[in-house]
Amino acid sequence: MQVEQVDFVSVPTRDTARAVAWYRDVLGLPSSAYTEAEVEAPNVTFSFWMPEEDDIPFAANESGVALRVADVHAAVEEVKAAGAEVMGIEDTGVCHMGFVKDPDGNVVILHNRYAPRVPR
Amino acid sequence: MAELGVLRTDFVGVPVTDRERSVRFYGETLGLKRNEKASPEWPEFETGNVTILLNTPEQTGVPFSPSNVAIALRVPDVAAGMKKLEAEGVKFLFEEAYDSGVCHMAFFKDPDGNSLILHNRHAPYSDGSLP
Repeated sequence: MQVEQVDFVSVPTRDTARAVAWYRDVLGLPSSAYTEAEVEAPNVTFSFWMPEEDDIPFAANESGVALRVADVHAAVEEVKAAGAEVMGIEDTGVCHMGFVKDPDGNVVILHNRYAPRVPR
Repeated sequence: MAELGVLRTDFVGVPVTDRERSVRFYGETLGLKRNEKASPEWPEFETGNVTILLNTPEQTGVPFSPSNVAIALRVPDVAAGMKKLEAEGVKFLFEEAYDSGVCHMAFFKDPDGNSLILHNRHAPYSDGSLP
């Protein structure tokens, strides 16, 4: 089987319009030109869905979707100023990660790798 | 605002309880290319445009619960992809590929119950373009 790419990542929400507004206004990701329930991260589409409409219990994603920014600390200050819940910034030794929650509690990681990769 | 300057999506985290089992599933069953430069404790798989990062509850400190952030994997032929995965024991939510009217989708789970979709858009967008 040949996987060609990831077409979209579906993000659970309880309010699609609120989610689209947050990803657009706080993270600055353009909303889709085609549907009301999607935003475009530069290399992949985020598609919001309401699990409860399909009788699936809502559960926020805590595993994280990592978005690359040039400066994690500056980006975290910006989203904090926009009212987002910030859990903290971690320096893993190879990257900075700013853990932020979207309005549904899904974890978004503002991410920047500063160390070069070394083959293991 | 849009001052934040998101450059790209670096990875989508997927929680797993048995790293080796999941490495086999994503690498061998799904046939994704493993990033050989990534730390063995944080296995990364490349899809062409975005990285899938496997992490364990011990690493994240988050109690395990399967992710319902479904990752839609584009394949040239969803029905053929289903057949291939079914032969390897993967169970799909529906017996046949679901046709949304614009795309084919087949919903399935990884060994930990994380949501995945085989996906192929067959209809052009309203402006005539295809993804």
